Amino acid sequence: MPDIKPLAKEDLVMEHLVSLTYSEHLTPNLNRFADALLDGRLVGHKCPSCGRVYLPGKGYCPICVIPTGEADEVEVQDRGIVTGFTIVTPVAYYGQTATEPFVFASVLLDGADGTIGGQDIVGVPHDQVHSGMRVRAVWLPKEERTADDITNRGWGGVSGGISAFEATGEPDASFDDFKEHIF
Amino acid sequence: MPATDIAIVGFAQTPSEREASASEVQLLVPTIAAALTAANLPRSEIGFTCAGSCDYLTGGPFAFVQNLEAAGAWPPISESHVEMDGAFALYEAWVRLQHGDIDTALVFGSGKSSPSNPAEVWAQQLDPYYLAPLGLDPVSLAGLQARALLDSGKATERDFAEVVANSRRAALDNPNAQLRGTPSIEELLAEPYVRNPLRRHDLPPISDGASAVVLARGDRARELTERPVWIRGFDHRIEAHQPGHRDITESTSTTLAARKAGYDGGPIDVVELSATFSPQELILRNALGLPKSTNVNPSGGALAANPIMSVGLVRIIEAASRISAGTANRALAHATGGQILQQNLVILLEGE
Repeated sequence: MPDIKPLAKEDLVMEHLVSLTYSEHLTPNLNRFADALLDGRLVGHKCPSCGRVYLPGKGYCPICVIPTGEADEVEVQDRGIVTGFTIVTPVAYYGQTATEPFVFASVLLDGADGTIGGQDIVGVPHDQVHSGMRVRAVWLPKEERTADDITNRGWGGVSGGISAFEATGEPDASFDDFKEHIF
Repeated sequence: MPATDIAIVGFAQTPSEREASASEVQLLVPTIAAALTAANLPRSEIGFTCAGSCDYLTGGPFAFVQNLEAAGAWPPISESHVEMDGAFALYEAWVRLQHGDIDTALVFGSGKSSPSNPAEVWAQQLDPYYLAPLGLDPVSLAGLQARALLDSGKATERDFAEVVANSRRAALDNPNAQLRGTPSIEELLAEPYVRNPLRRHDLPPISDGASAVVLARGDRARELTERPVWIRGFDHRIEAHQPGHRDITESTSTTLAARKAGYDGGPIDVVELSATFSPQELILRNALGLPKSTNVNPSGGALAANPIMSVGLVRIIEAASRISAGTANRALAHATGGQILQQNLVILLEGE
C-alpha cells in the first residue's frame, strides 16, 4: 500500500484574489457637485415637482421619477442635525485602517431632504454625541480637498471636502425636525 | 399550457454609445418613461416590475437597487431582478403574468460596459478553479469557438466576413446602432487578426445602453394599443458551464428552446439574434434551421451595438417593433447568457 498523506487545509483551499479596475468620467451633475465641493460649497438638486432636495443631486428625483439638471441646482447649508449615529470600535479586519473608536453619524443638512451618512463628529467626547445635536462642517484646507471619492454609483459624497462635523453649541433640534430622517 | 394572450404593448431603447455621459440610472429614467408613454400606461398601474443588469459590470455591489429608482419604487412596488440580460427579466415577467392576478408588467435591461475592462469582468463568470484563474476572456473563448467552427468545415472566414458586412449595412437604417458602413468582403478579409481567426470587426463594440418593455395580457393589451405584439411562445435552455463539455460549433440549447417556444420551422418574417461574435450568427442560424433567405438582424444585431444586459431585450424590441409597425407579422428573437452561447432564450412573436 502506498503511504497516503491525510488531506491538509492547503490541499483543499486555493487563493484566487481578483482585482477589477473601473474608470469613468463623473456624470455632468456630479462634476458640478465636485467643483462646488472643492470650492467649499454644497450643491444639491431640487425636484421641480415635489420640492425635495437631494445631495449630491442624482440627476433625477427617485420619488417623482423625473430628470433633474443644472436648472434644478440649489445650495445646501454646511450645517445640520445629527439624526442617528454609531460609535465604531474598529477591529483589525482586512482593509480597516482605523485603530481608535470613531463616530459614524447621519447628518441632515439644513436645506436637504436626505441625510449624508458615515460622518465623524469631533470636538466632543463620544458619550456626548446624541441625536438632535446641531453640527457644522469642518472643511479640509482648500489644497487638501479632492473629488477622488465621488463615484457615479452613489457613494463618496462630501468626504473629499469635509473631514468631520463639530458641535455648533446651538440648542438641540426637536425630534419632529428629523424623525423622518433617522438614517 | 402557458397563456398565449400576453403581449408587448410598449417599448423604448437608448441609442448605443461607446461611453454614455449619463449614469446607468439616468439612462433608464427617460427610457422607462418612454416605454410607459408608448403603452399609454400610468406608472401606478404596473402590476409587476422585473429588471436585468449586472453588478460586476456596473462595478458596485447592489447597483441594481439604484436602477430600481428609475422605475419609481415609492410607494412600494412588486418587483424582482435577474443578474442576466433584460430578455430573461422579460421571461420572469411573462411567467409572473401566467398567474392571472395582474395584467401588466414592466421590464428593463441596462448596462454600461465603458467603465470596466470586459476581459477582466467576464473572466469572473467562468469556474473559479480551472478557467477563471487563467483569465480566459470572452474574445479568446470566441476565438476558440470560431476556430472549432472552421475546423469542423461548417463555415469559412468568408462566411464570418459576410455576417459582418450584412450587419454594418443593415445598421445604416438603425439610429440606435454604433457601427455602420458598407465594407466589402475583400476589405474585411484583408484586416489583421486580433484573436486568430477573429478580426476586430468579428467582435462586438463596447457599448452603454438601456431598454424597457411593457407587457399586458388579454383585453388590457387591446385597450392599451391598436396592435399588440403577442408572445406565442417563450423558452430558455442552458448547457454545461464548462465549454469543453459541449460541442461549441452547435447550439443544442437554442434548438431546444425554439422547439419548446413552438417554432415549427415555418415561415418567419424577421429574426433577431444575439450573436455577439460573427461566427455565432452562423451557429444560431443553423440551430434554428433558418434558410439563407431569412431576414436575420435587420437592425444590424449585436455586432452593430452591444449594450450588455440590454442587448437581448433590444433584439426582442427590434422584432416587436416591426410587428407593431405592420412590416412583419411573425418574428423570432433570441438572447443569450454565459460564455459562448451557454444559455439561450427564444421568443416567438406574432401580430393580431
